[in-house]
Amino acid sequence: MTGFDRALSEVDGEAAVAVVLGLIADGADPLAVLVDVVAAGQRRVGERWQRGEWSVAREHAATGVSVLATEAIARHAERVPVTRGRVLVACAEREWHLLPALVISTAMRLHGWDTVLLGASTSPARLSQYLQDVGPDATAVSCSVLGALPTTRRFVEASTTAGVPILVGGSAFGPDDRRAVALGATAWAPDAHGAVALLDHLPAVVPKAVPLRGDRFVEQAAVELGHNRLVEVLRGRWSATTSGGAPSFDAACGEALHQAVHAVSAALLTGDPRPIPDTAWWIDRLLTARGADSRLVAELGAVLALAVRDFPEAHALVVGHWPGGLLVPEGERAS
Amino acid sequence: MDGEVTPIAVRAATDARSERELLARARLHVELTATLSGSLNLRRTVLRLLDLITPSIADWAVLALVDNSGGVVLHGGHDQAFTTALSRVVIEGTGMDRVLRSGQDELLHVAVELDSTDGLDTMIPHRRLRDEAAGLRPADVLSLALTTRGTTIGALVMVRGAGRGFPDLDVELAGVIAAQASIALDSARLYEERGRVASVLQASLRPPDLPLVPGARVSARFRPADERMDIAGDFYDIHGSGDDWLLVLGDVCGKGVEAAVLTGRARQSIRTAAYFDRRPSVVLAALNHVLCEVHSSRFVTVVCARFRPAADGLSAEVDVSVAGHPAPILVRADGTVDQVEVAGIVAGVIADASYTDVRVTMRSGDTMLMFTDGVDEARGSDGFYGMERLLALLPSYAGAGPMALCEAVEQDVVEYLDGRAHDDIALLAVSCGT
Repeated sequence: MTGFDRALSEVDGEAAVAVVLGLIADGADPLAVLVDVVAAGQRRVGERWQRGEWSVAREHAATGVSVLATEAIARHAERVPVTRGRVLVACAEREWHLLPALVISTAMRLHGWDTVLLGASTSPARLSQYLQDVGPDATAVSCSVLGALPTTRRFVEASTTAGVPILVGGSAFGPDDRRAVALGATAWAPDAHGAVALLDHLPAVVPKAVPLRGDRFVEQAAVELGHNRLVEVLRGRWSATTSGGAPSFDAACGEALHQAVHAVSAALLTGDPRPIPDTAWWIDRLLTARGADSRLVAELGAVLALAVRDFPEAHALVVGHWPGGLLVPEGERAS
Repeated sequence: MDGEVTPIAVRAATDARSERELLARARLHVELTATLSGSLNLRRTVLRLLDLITPSIADWAVLALVDNSGGVVLHGGHDQAFTTALSRVVIEGTGMDRVLRSGQDELLHVAVELDSTDGLDTMIPHRRLRDEAAGLRPADVLSLALTTRGTTIGALVMVRGAGRGFPDLDVELAGVIAAQASIALDSARLYEERGRVASVLQASLRPPDLPLVPGARVSARFRPADERMDIAGDFYDIHGSGDDWLLVLGDVCGKGVEAAVLTGRARQSIRTAAYFDRRPSVVLAALNHVLCEVHSSRFVTVVCARFRPAADGLSAEVDVSVAGHPAPILVRADGTVDQVEVAGIVAGVIADASYTDVRVTMRSGDTMLMFTDGVDEARGSDGFYGMERLLALLPSYAGAGPMALCEAVEQDVVEYLDGRAHDDIALLAVSCGT
């Protein structure tokens, strides 16, 4: 276990800060420390939660330690003179993972950009206010959860209406630029290094994003609006949530339901079906790590397909892309 | 020439154009208006204007905007982001000066001879930019006065190279763009000037950066009801030094700017009162007295805690006093959750109100959470968020530290709201031990 992992595990902020500042004092590239130590350590934190080794609270506490370490690097980055323009770094609504945005902002600052970081879960109205007040050269949006993609699209509209290029990245965009292009973003970056490299090549002014029109988007809006109702319907029909289990298992199942509905919404919004199988496999790992049977995931696919049967596009996406065949639950057989 | 195309020329041009062309012009006009009105930021508006003009209308363009001292700021050239300021003295007597003073457009032709830069000299009083433009000879230089709301606010200097010239139709189009741009630039400037006043005033009312408290960790979250603002009627503060700290969190009745101004007064009164006596009950009594004296119809609720860590850092004595505010919650390291039993009347209503201190002992890993009613009174589809939900959430965050605790509460409350409007939300948490 590395010193940084130990600090995360023991929730020792001072030790984590000492590790990263020590590496930088020894001549390590601060951006490399940010990406290879802090971001990598944080990824292992997420994996520990997913494997059921750590509770949500423990994951949050460890994340707090990563934030402290990143802030220490950010303070170090303040010494770098500003030689380039200004970037507004933001997280869309429902994106509570501030750390990736903080990492991106710090990486850009280290490269001579002046950055303004808005907090977690920011509304489009707040972003717009900052676009007018700051007049940035670019907007950078970090999106790690599928549920934040719809507001990220609003961010694209806000930014491009002001003519400001918008760079997006984060795990919710998947392994390529397909979703980013679908949302009308100016550019997509696979990681912090890529984001910094792209900044130098963004156009000064971009045209307003093309409006999204069509059945897919009408359905997406309806699924988004009915999100909580859909989750409740699923909760009442999925055997994992109707039979009752340990509180931590119930919490994981609740999270799975939200993610499943967000995946449908993300697939409708971007025209990329991959969020659906990706989310199914993610739920599979989440539940099997907590002792559940993989058949629960197949069953969830069937329950989900039934719940969205009034939305033809959404229904086709679930039926066509939820893996493992569809196990139709007893008494819910669709005609 | 004077920019306005004569009626005869307009008629002739109109005859020559097909309806399709007219429609295309109308579309361009709408697009122009939308494009230039999309931003209220002066710099962004300048960039959009330059982007709109080059290369479709001119090969090269510079925008000159008059500044407050009578000089100009130049923007553009080959690098659209280039900007430089020229003093009044530098531009006096130049062609650019003439355009700015008279508000009349000018069209010049610059021949190809190497020493013939007279026209460029006079219209572009800046060496680097002039050299860029000279590279386009033989060139035509169109200088448009940007006049709006009765004032000429700047000039747009456009250059076309290789003898392509500016036909009447293009001059007309450039005039339309200049007219739209003038309004957009002037509006952006007004917005920026107002914004500067607001941001200076706002800076003093913004929540403070948290100090490092030895033997403790502190964290805070702040989410104004109006998410476009950084100030609100909720406030928090930490002051002190060494082993004696005062943590304050409060809520002024009302929202927005008016409430924020009162938070500034309340924060200052508390800081001054604490200078004389650091007991929370005495600080709140002093605040109450001051607020009652100013006969304001507004009242303030406050929770005030004096945090004194022991020398070994393993425990802390905390005296808590409240004025009409929800009492803080203690989240013990073992997951026990209790609300401190303390009460007191709101400040600013009854002049001789008195307050009491309640002492609690915090041990290493314990966290005290202070919050405003934007938390428990957040309205979701199931009614209020409520204290029960808050108290049920906290035990699993025992020992996770103040940052994780504040984030968890903020996230849970905002997710509960599910996009609904909310009151100001402020959270302040302190954990004993490092």
